Amino acid sequence: MTHPSNPTSSSAVVGQRLRLRADPGRAAEIAKELTVPALFTAFAVYLVVGIVTMEVPAGTSFPGPAVFPGLVAAALLLLAALLVVRSVRSARRSRAGAVADLPESAPGTAPDAAPEASDVPVPQRSVRVDWRSMAWVVLSFAAFALLLDVLGWIVGAGLLFLGVAKGLGAPGWLRPLLIGLTVSSISYIAFDMALDLSLPSGIIGWRF
Amino acid sequence: MDVLGLLGDGFAGALTPANLLWVVVGCLLGTAVGVLPGLGSSMAVALLLPVTFSLDPTAAFIMFAGVYFGGLFGDSTMGILMNTPGQASAIASTFEGHKMALHGRAAQALATAAIGAFVGGMVASALVVFLAPALASFSSSFGPAEFFALALFAFVTTSSVVTDDALKGLGSLCLGLGIAVIGVDGISGAPRFTMGVPELFDGISLVTVTVAILALGEVIHVACLARHMQDGRMVQPQGRPWLSRGELREAAPAWLRGTVIGLPFGVVPAGGSEIPTFLAYGLEKRLDARRKHPQFGRGAIRGLAAPEAAGNSTTGMAMGALLSLGLPVSATAAIMLAAFRQYGLQPGPLLFDRSPDLVWALLASFFIAMVVLLIINLPFAMVWAKLLRIPRAYLYAGIAVFCGLGIYATSGSVFDLLMLLGIGIVGFLMRALDVPLAPLIIGMVLGPLAETSLRDAALSADGDFSVLVAGPIPIVLYSVLAVVLAVTVAGRVRARRATRRELRVDAR
Repeated sequence: MTHPSNPTSSSAVVGQRLRLRADPGRAAEIAKELTVPALFTAFAVYLVVGIVTMEVPAGTSFPGPAVFPGLVAAALLLLAALLVVRSVRSARRSRAGAVADLPESAPGTAPDAAPEASDVPVPQRSVRVDWRSMAWVVLSFAAFALLLDVLGWIVGAGLLFLGVAKGLGAPGWLRPLLIGLTVSSISYIAFDMALDLSLPSGIIGWRF
Repeated sequence: MDVLGLLGDGFAGALTPANLLWVVVGCLLGTAVGVLPGLGSSMAVALLLPVTFSLDPTAAFIMFAGVYFGGLFGDSTMGILMNTPGQASAIASTFEGHKMALHGRAAQALATAAIGAFVGGMVASALVVFLAPALASFSSSFGPAEFFALALFAFVTTSSVVTDDALKGLGSLCLGLGIAVIGVDGISGAPRFTMGVPELFDGISLVTVTVAILALGEVIHVACLARHMQDGRMVQPQGRPWLSRGELREAAPAWLRGTVIGLPFGVVPAGGSEIPTFLAYGLEKRLDARRKHPQFGRGAIRGLAAPEAAGNSTTGMAMGALLSLGLPVSATAAIMLAAFRQYGLQPGPLLFDRSPDLVWALLASFFIAMVVLLIINLPFAMVWAKLLRIPRAYLYAGIAVFCGLGIYATSGSVFDLLMLLGIGIVGFLMRALDVPLAPLIIGMVLGPLAETSLRDAALSADGDFSVLVAGPIPIVLYSVLAVVLAVTVAGRVRARRATRRELRVDAR
């Protein structure tokens, strides 16, 4: 059962397998390797702090509210440690100059998937994180969340559309803005008025 | 029990103009997200979940079923034409399907895929109609120990057996389990992990998490990574979009074999339709190698027909398992389970007694959805391919707006929107660093069930955990799990040794 790509990353782009290319330098490489363990550890620490500060009502019998989260936190810490060990080992192996550039999850393609036409791109490409796009999307959404009460749905969602479209490299300003306002108006009409979704009209509508 | 009579009532309920409209809407949406690479039916269901609260449950579930099946009909289209499968369940179909297209048989490939999906789905739906009630009455005897065993089975298989990387899969699962424990504990009443924030007392809503992980995370991912990749070129299909009698005779046994392979996987909580599609592909390949003129590698129609049928028959059975056991086997099914809970319904044995109208109308709608999907896919696959003309920037901007709409409509709070953003960034990181997402969703949905059944079982036995392995059903489940794990580990070890050996040979 060796699949060419990770099947359960459900809707992720599955055709091409992209490998993050860290910025030059070993520091970035290490940072990339440590992101997942750091994520697991951070969440485990949150759980541990919660377990320690938890006020368990008196008279709760043995498998209390802290047992299951404790197991989860322990498992997360263990997995983070194992991931670190694995990446250190594979880094050492590749620095030793051996051929082994093959961690377990080596991005490989099944032999059947070999591209036939020469101009079909190799299914594995190195891509660098585009931080500007990331900032556009994340900041637009944060602004949308914080300003929605002030701006109202039509304006707020229209601006969100503009911001995300810019983040994805849409050319121009007027066209995405106009399309965004159309989308937000139509969604307002469709969901608030027609589908009667209980959207508070004072906030979704503009100056109602 | 007069199953056919009940099903007839179901058809009467499902064929009302309003419900028929929802079937068609669901099928159109599902096909659209299936066709577009990167979008999947799980994301579509997650996005639709918040906006369907004003519908009555039957209409909502009929639409969800249309989306679920539609995703499986549409996903092979782009795989065949562009070598980019729409979602993971179409990877196996892409190998031979795209080769068929390259050899000038794209139209026939599209037809083969659509008919295969139809055959698999129809057979599975028919089987579900007769099996689900029996399965439901069988599962009515389940207690906490049985449910814990089932949940554990689902956890282990989805996080480690199906994924490439067991460490990351298990970590993803633990994140889901951890998110699920936030909020006031149902048994003891203690607030857990809320940090005193009142918004967290009810826990983090599953809708927020699924929309964040599956939709917003994907938007960020496309914005800063995926769009910098080059797209493949689309093959323009020409010629007849139907199959000759020879091709039908060639494909028919593969459709049936694929269906049979897919069926059992619908009830096994093993992460959806990816494994059966690969198994069906592998079987056809092995059978093909024995023939006089092997077709594989040059666009074998059987290599496309079998995985398509397997994918949809698994999905049909998975819906049966969801309805009768309350057990989701894939991310999409997990979100649908959450949808049932939002409506105050608990899938499982009781659902068939308490809301027979909904269940039978839903089952009847499966058949209607299959027919609708065959009609909108068989002749019009090329029309769907035109969806790719939508500029990616506007498509994903629209998805981001829809995320905001759904979450704000259900919660009405800025806090939830910010939570959506935060979890969306986590989802982006997981996607970018190859951490599978489905285990997180499964863990989040089944985590509370696992925890309460674990504690109920232990509480009723005075803290003695051995009751968990007392009954015959848990023992059977655990032994099956052990066998599955042993087979997986053995396979991995063998594969790793093989690659090492190859490397050594290459090095010389």
